[in-house]
Amino acid sequence: MIAKLDSSPLGISVRIARIDWAAMSQDEGRRLREFGLLEGCEVTPRHRGSIFSRDPLALTIGRMQVIIRARQAAAIEVEPAA
Amino acid sequence: MTSAIPSIALVGNPNAGKSSLFNALTGARQKIANYPGVTVERKAGHASFADGRPLSLIDLPGTYSLTPASLDEAVTRDVVLGKQAGETRPDALVVVVDAANLDNHLCFALELLALGLPTVIALNMLDLATRDGLTLDPERLSRELGVPVVPTVAVRKRGLAELLAAIDGAIATHQPRVAVAPPPNDASLHQRARAIARAATVDETPVRRWTQRVDSVVLHPVAGLVILLALMFVMFQAVYAAAEAPADFLEGGIGVLQGWVVDVLPDGFLRGLIVEGLLAGVGAVIVFLPQILILFLFILLLEASGYMTRAAFLMDGLMGKVGLSGRGFIPLLSSFACAVPGIMATRSIPDEKDRLTTILIAPLMTCSARMPVYTLVIGAFIPARTVGGSPVGLQGLVLFGLFLSGIVGALLVAWVLRRSVTKGNAAGFMMEMPRYQWPRARDIGLALWQRAWIFLRRAGTIIAMTTVVLWLLLSFPKAPADSDVRQVDYSVAGHIASGLEAVVRPIGFNHDIALALIPAMAAREVAVSALATANAIDAGDDEEAVAMSLGERLQGRWSLATALAFLAWFVFAPQCISTIAITRRETNGWKWPLFMVGYLFALAYAAAGITYWTAVAFGLG
Repeated sequence: MIAKLDSSPLGISVRIARIDWAAMSQDEGRRLREFGLLEGCEVTPRHRGSIFSRDPLALTIGRMQVIIRARQAAAIEVEPAA
Repeated sequence: MTSAIPSIALVGNPNAGKSSLFNALTGARQKIANYPGVTVERKAGHASFADGRPLSLIDLPGTYSLTPASLDEAVTRDVVLGKQAGETRPDALVVVVDAANLDNHLCFALELLALGLPTVIALNMLDLATRDGLTLDPERLSRELGVPVVPTVAVRKRGLAELLAAIDGAIATHQPRVAVAPPPNDASLHQRARAIARAATVDETPVRRWTQRVDSVVLHPVAGLVILLALMFVMFQAVYAAAEAPADFLEGGIGVLQGWVVDVLPDGFLRGLIVEGLLAGVGAVIVFLPQILILFLFILLLEASGYMTRAAFLMDGLMGKVGLSGRGFIPLLSSFACAVPGIMATRSIPDEKDRLTTILIAPLMTCSARMPVYTLVIGAFIPARTVGGSPVGLQGLVLFGLFLSGIVGALLVAWVLRRSVTKGNAAGFMMEMPRYQWPRARDIGLALWQRAWIFLRRAGTIIAMTTVVLWLLLSFPKAPADSDVRQVDYSVAGHIASGLEAVVRPIGFNHDIALALIPAMAAREVAVSALATANAIDAGDDEEAVAMSLGERLQGRWSLATALAFLAWFVFAPQCISTIAITRRETNGWKWPLFMVGYLFALAYAAAGITYWTAVAFGLG
């Protein structure tokens, strides 16, 4: 079952199946990779936005917590973690 | 080996604890300047090896790789590659990595190691890693990487001597290494970093980190915002309440100094210049040092604890709606202390249009230079009572309202700008969220001292100069003794002010204010010193008038409507040479600073006018 990271439920680990690099700028793509967001790795969505908006998304990857926008999360396909 | 002092660069990811390590190694022996040509802050300092030989250290902006995404990250790349103009290539690198985040931080470390410079790894914040249930083997890590690895806890000064010894050794025994090609792509680089991190990890107990527990409250969609708002409210109340005693003390001290000068110097030009010009003018501004320091203290604490990024996260949704990003929240919050460092902090915003918009609205954040103006006028015209039996003070509430007007104004302006002059792509927002940490008194103290020094130097130069010039303009030509025209009106400055008065009369400003606005172009707080100087001259030898505070004198001369209009004016007016200068430098030309000054004066005039006319309509004129 393939879902997009921007709509994954909070607190549940998922594995990144595919990232549509074409959906974001080169710089954004590189920063995602620098954060360690790569195909095959596990992430857990933690927090989403405030009353103002559903943006941004905070997620844990390894021992790091990073913030990305929903627009980038929408380009990331995830599957249930093993 | 050359006999020159070896220069060592500290480099690493953001949040690796680089600055704390730099502070621990150099103590107060630091020099903060700018890299020539760019406005990226260059932090350099000195330390010495165990045998007393000196070394120079430079703290480079944190970044994730040698491919920069922003101006300050480009400086890091250029310095380590030896391409930064005016900067020699470092003799050695200290790569600072967060012991609890090796997976990620080793990626950049591997890239840096491939450069072939003498390198030492500082395995920093080892105590926090232990707290997180992580046991590491530094020797194994050292074998895997082929360079010395020194465990450090910068904030407790642990491992510093060992680190210095390792640097010394690395330089002395350095064999030009065959530059190792880094892994060909990001995925294999990460794989390699992860493999090394795994090898160096002896034990990893999963502990529920308290950072996550705190975040479930602090980042809550509703509770988080309430907490943020409450924090900011407390901050502004504290600025008022806690600064009162030290400010009174400073004010008393300046009064004593003035009395002493009056006693020693004969009446004449020099005495007037010192007592009415310099001491009255500079003194009126120095009194606000406690408030400025309290504001900076809060901002530094929020930053050092890791809360600031959470605030950026919470505000991103709102800022996204007006076309900005949460990234802009940090520069904007810094602008509450001063727009100059705030505008400089926009360098970390990758999107050019997003950055430009943030720069243009930064002066709307209520900077500390407005505090003297607000405090004086609020103190004189708003009664010091609480609101309806609550512990909330009315004066603090008005101050909060002024801050809020600036913020709301800024958001509206950003919304308009992003749909007109700075139209562009939707801004991005990608950021690492640091763990929570107790701020270290030492690091905070050092930063606070640097801020205080900058403020005092400003008071000693720009403000002192403008008040002296103003005193001269106010004192000459002398009004004839038998004339009933006030000296202030008779002087050169008085005539200039009369011209300006015609323009600002419709918005309720009187001659006093017109007079204060001209020198305040240099810096907003000069408006207060200008009022003080004009009043000191006006009072002359009238002892009763001299004994009255500036606030008391204003009460007699301004209506409440005028006072409120004056406050509204300063919410918007771009009266600060430094801000205009830094905007010119950051935007490479005069186009944007002129645009900024123009739109802000227009807003200031409108806001003051509307406030005045409304107040008059309610019978407060």
